Amino acid sequence: MVGTLRTTPLAWAVRLGNLYVEIFRNIPLIVQMFLWFFVMPELVPEALGDWIKQMPPPWGSYVPAVLCLGVFTSVRIAEQVRAGINSLPRGQRMAAIAMGLTEAEAYRYVILPQALRIILPPLTSEFMNVIKNSSVALTIGLLELTGRARAMQEFSFRVFEAFATATVIYLLTNLVVVLLMRALERKVRVPGLIAAGGAPQAGH
Amino acid sequence: MISLKNVAKWYGSFQVLADCSTEVAKGEVVVVCGPSGSGKSTLIKCVNGLEPFQKGEITVDGISVGDPKTNLPKLRSRVGMVFQHFELFPHMTVMQNLTLGQVKVLGRSREEALQKGMKLLERVGLSAHKDKFPAQLSGGQQQRVAIARALSMDPIAMLFDEPTSALDPEMINEVLDVMVELAKEGMTMMVVTHEMGFARKVARRVIFMDAGRIVEDAGKEEFFGTPRSERAQLFLSKILHH
Repeated sequence: MVGTLRTTPLAWAVRLGNLYVEIFRNIPLIVQMFLWFFVMPELVPEALGDWIKQMPPPWGSYVPAVLCLGVFTSVRIAEQVRAGINSLPRGQRMAAIAMGLTEAEAYRYVILPQALRIILPPLTSEFMNVIKNSSVALTIGLLELTGRARAMQEFSFRVFEAFATATVIYLLTNLVVVLLMRALERKVRVPGLIAAGGAPQAGH
Repeated sequence: MISLKNVAKWYGSFQVLADCSTEVAKGEVVVVCGPSGSGKSTLIKCVNGLEPFQKGEITVDGISVGDPKTNLPKLRSRVGMVFQHFELFPHMTVMQNLTLGQVKVLGRSREEALQKGMKLLERVGLSAHKDKFPAQLSGGQQQRVAIARALSMDPIAMLFDEPTSALDPEMINEVLDVMVELAKEGMTMMVVTHEMGFARKVARRVIFMDAGRIVEDAGKEEFFGTPRSERAQLFLSKILHH
């Protein structure tokens, strides 16, 4: 959404999108995690803040962690979407508009379907990043995979086993993501193009 | 049909069009030529509002293009446009390219759009390729599909922006043939091209542009016989002698 906005002719939308992206892209993930956990409840209206602080254990850190990872990843994806859209030849948008499509229809039927094919590979990396970045949530007390491994190690003093298991689980999860995305890439591949959208204008 | 009055356009402080006025009557074929950078592509893109202009007035079928109240998408759907680089949508089959505008803009039913698409593909001799993707076709074939796509909207006029400049020499004629046929049927056409053979064959008038100005706007015989401006003479001597 944000990435798309930043390619439109609307100056205010571009500026708003840029602001959003630059803020969340330029702050380290761990700082953002702390901001969401410690600072955000203080900034919202008091009743809501209190309610957030009183959420029972897993949720109290789960919600900020999800929000944090969501926003952090969204700005990175926004940047990729923008790059994908800008990599299309300008004529595609012109051709769509010359045909009588409105700006929104041009995006929906012509620009986004092509841009999404182009950014699928980096999108896969982003998917895997979100899984790996979730380990940062242990700093705000969320017992995610790395947190669990550490807890196990503290109970049992079996460092090697605990983290070996965590490693294998991370690997497996990301492998599943990779395979799913590969299948998706194959499914949307356009015949006659070399990679899925990789070199769509080779003949031009 | 198409009328331009004192059109001027700037990119920042750089003037790309200056005081351009001309008319294209219904059923008329007008060729626009000139050296590169002379503003001919920009001029033709102003006609359907793809490029904004700052001064002057353009009307198409009595509707003002520069008026902010004009429904531009609707106006554009009535003016077909063919681009130098074809600009077929690469993620859609040939037939999908031909039906998208009909269904989404004109609100035709899918069957109706398919029928119309089939008829046009037959006309440009490509019905066997309807389920292929653009990248599987040659340049000349792609450009013929692009012309069929523009025609699928039943346009009142057609704009061509250097339709053969990106083609291999052997494919130019197949595209020009389609355009000649179209001209003979009485389509109103404004064609930016360097194909003087095409201009000689079907154009009624030739407009010669240089540095953003219309230097010459004359009947075909007059233009090829005795171009008045030195610049046009020089241009003609350069492109005709080989």
